[in-house]
Amino acid sequence: MITISVNGEIKEVKEGLNVKELIVALNYTTQGFAVAVNTTFVAIKSYETTIIENGDTIDILTPVQGG
Amino acid sequence: MNNNNNTWEIGGKTLNSRLLIGSALYPNPANMEEAIKISEAQIVTVSLRRQSAGDNNNNGKAGNSFWNIIKSLNINVLPNTAGCHSAKEAITTAQMAREVFGTNWIKLEVIGDQYNLQPDPFETVKAAEILIKEGFEVFPYTTDDLVVAKRLADVGCNILMPWGSMIGSGKGLMNPDNLTAIRKQFPKLKLIVDAGIGKPSHATKAMELGYDGVLLNSAIALAGDPVKMANAFKYAITAGRLGYEAGVMQQREFASPSTPVIGTPFWHQFK
Repeated sequence: MITISVNGEIKEVKEGLNVKELIVALNYTTQGFAVAVNTTFVAIKSYETTIIENGDTIDILTPVQGG
Repeated sequence: MNNNNNTWEIGGKTLNSRLLIGSALYPNPANMEEAIKISEAQIVTVSLRRQSAGDNNNNGKAGNSFWNIIKSLNINVLPNTAGCHSAKEAITTAQMAREVFGTNWIKLEVIGDQYNLQPDPFETVKAAEILIKEGFEVFPYTTDDLVVAKRLADVGCNILMPWGSMIGSGKGLMNPDNLTAIRKQFPKLKLIVDAGIGKPSHATKAMELGYDGVLLNSAIALAGDPVKMANAFKYAITAGRLGYEAGVMQQREFASPSTPVIGTPFWHQFK
């Protein structure tokens, strides 16, 4: 297991997951949000090639009201 | 309302309305939807935020009800980078917004001071340059500083959005002379007054200065009756634009009667 931060919350997940597998493990759908790892954007096309490492910081953002 | 056939273009789109409306701070989603509809705005600003802990139980759909309302309005979406304090943060947020919202438009906000939410000009210019190279249409939120405006234009911004006054202050146009200077310096750029608008008359004034549009949120959302206020801003912005196009009369330093003097009954001259 590795320890990561997801939207500011510490979580333990299986080692070796890519982003696509991580969002499934976290029970997110595959639409309506975008992902950044360590403050760098990860496009959908790169989900499967981006491996989550111990200590990574994941941000998953969804639409909200804005001015 | 928009029947004067007065279309304009921004970011590759031809629009009728010159009001850019925010989607935040309304009493409830239904009120937001109704206000946006009655405003006839064709651009609405939105944002991105983390899903809070526990939203996973909602299967990752925390923002979907809001987003579904916005999509149903079938108008242009302008995502912002609100809350970012560096070019790096703003660029990442813009990239994420492009994927989520399916638009290359980005309202670039890089805040430099937490007290007055003044934009950081250095980081804003840096981010704008990179985002434009990545194919974004950047709507930069900036101050009314002419030199910053020049720098943003130098890196390729087609649009500038100087503030009227501090975000959410409702104080109106602090420095209309500065806004006029930017208008004169950049006749071909699209200029939007963004932030600080409190009353419909503030928006009218911005339009009378020759600005192409006005972006506002709090003035409508925090009004006693947001829907009625949205309607008021629609008329105010149209009035200001028509006034600008019509050409305002020259001010005079003396009184001049509008009613004909010839034939005045009981005519007499003041001594």
